[in-house]
Amino acid sequence: MADEDARHEAGEALAAAVGRAAPAEWEWLARAPLPGAFAGAGRRCRGAAGLGPGEAAALRRAGAVAPEAWPLADAARVWLLLARLPLTAPEAAATVRRLFLTGDTAERRAVLRALALLPAPEAHRDLAIEACRTNVQEVFEAIACDNAYPAAFFPEPAFNQMVLKAVFLGAPLGRVVGLEARRNPEMERMARDYASERRAAGRPVPEDLTLITAGATP
Amino acid sequence: MKLFDPHIHMTSRTTDDYQAMRAAGVVAVVEPAFWLGQPRTHVGSFEDYFLSLIGWERFRAGQFGIHHFCTIGLNPKEANNPDLTDGVLALLPQYLEKDGVVAVGEIGFDDATEAEERCFAAQVELARAHDLPILIHTPHRDKKRGTARSLAVVRECRFPEERVLIDHNTEETLPMVLDSGCWAGHSVYPHTKMDEDRMAALVGRYGPERIIVNSAADWGVSDPLKVPKTADAMRAAGIAEADIETVLWRNPVTFFAQSGRLDPAELETPARVDQRRLHEGNSVLRGQAPEVEA
Repeated sequence: MADEDARHEAGEALAAAVGRAAPAEWEWLARAPLPGAFAGAGRRCRGAAGLGPGEAAALRRAGAVAPEAWPLADAARVWLLLARLPLTAPEAAATVRRLFLTGDTAERRAVLRALALLPAPEAHRDLAIEACRTNVQEVFEAIACDNAYPAAFFPEPAFNQMVLKAVFLGAPLGRVVGLEARRNPEMERMARDYASERRAAGRPVPEDLTLITAGATP
Repeated sequence: MKLFDPHIHMTSRTTDDYQAMRAAGVVAVVEPAFWLGQPRTHVGSFEDYFLSLIGWERFRAGQFGIHHFCTIGLNPKEANNPDLTDGVLALLPQYLEKDGVVAVGEIGFDDATEAEERCFAAQVELARAHDLPILIHTPHRDKKRGTARSLAVVRECRFPEERVLIDHNTEETLPMVLDSGCWAGHSVYPHTKMDEDRMAALVGRYGPERIIVNSAADWGVSDPLKVPKTADAMRAAGIAEADIETVLWRNPVTFFAQSGRLDPAELETPARVDQRRLHEGNSVLRGQAPEVEA
């Protein structure tokens, strides 16, 4: 994933975007202890992140997928994670886990969007897989859609479960990063079984399933 | 008329209640953190409770078209458990920063002990630090003395009175609360505290300013439709529509908007009902067709 330089530039881009949109809040975020800053970013940073083209490009180089769509609060929270996590991998993973578990929906979304950008990202694999167990659409889509993390780090069973769950929740499969490259016979079998279950119940078969079956009728 | 129930423990209520409330015009609620009917024995139980108030319950309300806000605090009953108080007070700074938290509360007195007063004053300072108003519970026993003592604590802490809501008032406590700059809440209950007709009489006598009405419905004998029923009683008593709207909508909106986390303009649009949204692996739907508003 991202090297140290790309991560540094992404952090600078986010700091610039937040500092521009909310200068007073930026000062507060930079000083407050991490858990409070992470929670309080929501009410202090409202509206869209408004990243410039250069800033969005820096984020993409660091592993972000659709940063233009991020709200300002997400930009602030991803910046906090890039700038303020402990330096050792186990301590960083423990902090990220704690912020996720004690977060509301918006905080959880921001943690998941940050995962692919963090140093030693594999340390967060269990948390990312656990996050797929949520059924809050917003939290699930933050890990399953427009996120490079699962395709890069999930083992096959976890990736397959995430893809099938996306179908169940109506999360768009077209936004699952790396789906084509991670397709496998077991995933295809699960898709066909699901299609068969839907037909038996007299229910429509989601069109997205053809993305798993390479265009064939599932 | 849109209605606001500014004190209701939805965690203890069913989806039928949510549907009935929405049908009766309730489009926003505040759920104060309180005790759960039996004492908690771990600090972690408080943390999971706070998380459910800012997460699961907020999501559940949204599925029925109701805006959900909450207050976070250590309640006076459990402030008497020395194994819990320091741990719970230490959790609060993080949770008082969350988006849907519109006050510190319920805090105040239950048995009027020293431990209760210590936690009360500590949480007044937390409200100041996090720029939040305060919701104060007044005791069932020795209510007049408890209410006077609560007002005294607010004054001793020099906390701005217009940012304080003193709850569960009766005919005997309302005048002293109105004489202060605090707001006066009333819990309309089937048998205890306040009822709809007495509430209408109080608004008739004192006018609508700084008066707030809630159902305080929880896990006991209580009624989540007491706010709409009080609207009916006030109408029957000849209270002007504008005054009813002030008491049952504008006052709670104005009070909690002081938190900066409740946008009155946003409340003008009811939360969109979309039961396709799920939460933490559990949908509140059990096989029925989801209701989705266009």
